[in-house]
Amino acid sequence: MLISWRYKFRNSIMDRIDPRSRWIFSFAFLISATMVWSANFLFPLFIIALIWYAFGQTRWKETRRGWFLVSIMLFSMIVINTIITGGGAGGVVPPGGHVLWPNGFTVPVVNWHIYFGLTVERIWFALCQLMRLGGVSLIFVLIPYTMDPRAYGATFRGLAMPDSVAYTMELAFRFIPTLARDLSVTLDAQKARGYELEKVKGGIFKKIARIAPLLVPVTMNAIIASEDVANAMDLRCFGQAKRTWIYELNFHRWDHMLNAVSVLMLVGIILAVYVFKLGGFWVPEWFMQLFV
Amino acid sequence: MSNQSESPIIVTDLSFRYNSRSDLALNKVSFSVNPGEVLLIAGSSGCGKTTLMRCINGLIPNAYQGDVEGDITLFGQSVFDLEMSEISQTVGTILQDPERQILGTYVLNDVAFGLESLGMPRDQILSRVDQALDRMGILHLRDRETFGTSGGEKQKIALAGVLAMNPRILLLDEPLASLDPASAHEALQIFRQLADEGLTVMIVEHRVEDVLAIHPERVIYMDEGRITYAGDRNGLLQAVDYTRIKLPAEIVMDRARSDPPPKFEPILKQDPQHVDELVKFDHVHFRYDEELPFVLDDINFSINHGDVIAILGHNGSGKTTMVKHALGLLKPTRGEVYLEGKSTRSMTVAAAAKSVGYVFQSPSQMLFAPTVAEELAFGPTNLGMAKADIKNNIQWAIETVNLEEELDTPPLALSFGQQKRISIAAVLSMRSRILMMDEPTAGQDYWNYRTFMDAILQMPGFDAIAFITHDLDLALIYANRIVILYDGRIVADGPPEAVLADEERLIHCRILPTSLLSLNKLHLPATGSFYRAETLAHMIG
Repeated sequence: MLISWRYKFRNSIMDRIDPRSRWIFSFAFLISATMVWSANFLFPLFIIALIWYAFGQTRWKETRRGWFLVSIMLFSMIVINTIITGGGAGGVVPPGGHVLWPNGFTVPVVNWHIYFGLTVERIWFALCQLMRLGGVSLIFVLIPYTMDPRAYGATFRGLAMPDSVAYTMELAFRFIPTLARDLSVTLDAQKARGYELEKVKGGIFKKIARIAPLLVPVTMNAIIASEDVANAMDLRCFGQAKRTWIYELNFHRWDHMLNAVSVLMLVGIILAVYVFKLGGFWVPEWFMQLFV
Repeated sequence: MSNQSESPIIVTDLSFRYNSRSDLALNKVSFSVNPGEVLLIAGSSGCGKTTLMRCINGLIPNAYQGDVEGDITLFGQSVFDLEMSEISQTVGTILQDPERQILGTYVLNDVAFGLESLGMPRDQILSRVDQALDRMGILHLRDRETFGTSGGEKQKIALAGVLAMNPRILLLDEPLASLDPASAHEALQIFRQLADEGLTVMIVEHRVEDVLAIHPERVIYMDEGRITYAGDRNGLLQAVDYTRIKLPAEIVMDRARSDPPPKFEPILKQDPQHVDELVKFDHVHFRYDEELPFVLDDINFSINHGDVIAILGHNGSGKTTMVKHALGLLKPTRGEVYLEGKSTRSMTVAAAAKSVGYVFQSPSQMLFAPTVAEELAFGPTNLGMAKADIKNNIQWAIETVNLEEELDTPPLALSFGQQKRISIAAVLSMRSRILMMDEPTAGQDYWNYRTFMDAILQMPGFDAIAFITHDLDLALIYANRIVILYDGRIVADGPPEAVLADEERLIHCRILPTSLLSLNKLHLPATGSFYRAETLAHMIG
């Protein structure tokens, strides 16, 4: 059985916004944030995202699992890919730059001398990336916890998707928590047979073979569940006529205003980037002075 | 579609072979059903009952492909000439597990699903949904999440979803499999009522005795894809092998007199003089989340050497949650659970698994290996057993569940019933001293579950066995101690003869007395204990 994210009505500002407007705003934000690298744009966008997140009135305890996954992603993209390897900055940060330790540095205790080509520009880039990805995460992490699962399908249909695509989106949304539940049950079942995930050691192939007791049942169950869902839908005439969605959605005045804000934000950023040639990467002088 | 005067279902010389199989799943099956009739289809696992249902509701050939011969007409029209949508408006299907059928996140949305698909106006949908929910007596669940409802409620929700579409034929594939006795009884009463209102109701069910109680007009018994009996209820009671399907106890007792007495000598015996406590629950309270109510409420209970414990209770009473604590899969919110004197808080589940073998409810949650032999070797290998011991344990375990010929087969290629038995064997092969099973007989046919339960109970090597079940007769036959849970509390704990004596309490706990219990209570002064009907036949004479 497909389950859904743990939604709770909080009577928050977010609860009063039409889910279609929320998606329109969320996508407008995503596109806007991915078009610019300038902190002059990213910082205000990040503040907007924080305010938006506060509208949801979620509690840390509810969302911490989601944030744990997001923090792994942010760590790998910002710390590993930008600060350590510098790969993520390629194409945005100009080559060269002000190296922080031009002569390298010595690690105390072990006395190792290391040459590490980290530049001030890359640090600033990492901060910009944190604002950009952090802002996008704030907007999207909120959705599963604050959107009524009854509204999923009707919302996507309301965004002009065909019935079949709208319902597929709903199923996809519910697939993630269902998969998490199945994984937890399978992990318990294998633990009861003496399996210890922590003891998975060895090379990559050995590791993959050792996690098969988790992956195989979860994958097979997902396949069987998808067949069950398809059969259950067939038995109740899905796709045979233009669908009625009993969940009613109505735009209010504030929803129209939010839609307008979303469009303005997106159009404004497009104009800034393509007409006024703003939004490119640059390092403020005051930041440079901190290091050089 | 429809010619009102035609028979609802006429099946003529129907044969079917799945593309993935070489043998026929259905072989020249013919029968018909009239409006307002209940038809019971009985038979062992794999006899073709579910395939027959799939042919009638259109899943064959739309979702499952194969070779079909013969015909099925629904109100005079061949099912093979109809679209799924046309069939679905006439034939409502309830699948074996209601969880597999529920699509909506909330009850209202789920019941409305079919009507939404038909594009009905919203007002009409809401009115039809309310009518269907009211008919099932669950209008109060309308705005509840489906996930949080009990097994019995899920069954009614699935049924309401089908009834909202006003079908004229109702197909029910093992509708009682996941229900506690009281919920099963309620469901059967509803099916009877629907038939009396003019619906044609076709029930595929292993729990034959339960269905016979609503007096089905016709009964079909199938074996290896063929109909071997078709007739009325009374004819079935005499025509079929009473060891194959569960018949009323007095009938079995009557028929078993002429057969040799069954041989069953359980190994485990309680020793009141020497109580060796293996697992101890000390004032255990548990809830899944601090915002949710307690699922276990002050549980004080021990599993002792020699115990064969049956744990009974209604859907959602906390049985599985309690058993998971013994292995440390769940830790108490308050209180302690001790396994062989050590708190489960201070041990890993893997360490606990050396003492406690736990068979989960659903086999598909654990089976993964390329062959059954490797599946059975997984647990003992994790526990660090020697290769020679693993080999011996595998052989012993596979023989216990009667699947020796499947050692080289991929477990996931087996039927659900066989997978369930493999999941039991996979835990047996660990040779844990304490064996715990969560609904070991669910989805099993009568003969198979009796065979492996007999084998397990007569095998040496266990210090104690505990099993969760909805089947009162299973508890009565195999357990030397019965524990009843009600809303997270233990309300009875003791020998079967004492615990099952209080019928009022049983009914309050949603456990219904069976014909075997009544028979045993009748003869208790002479027998001194509870026995299976075949044994009683020879004891009473």
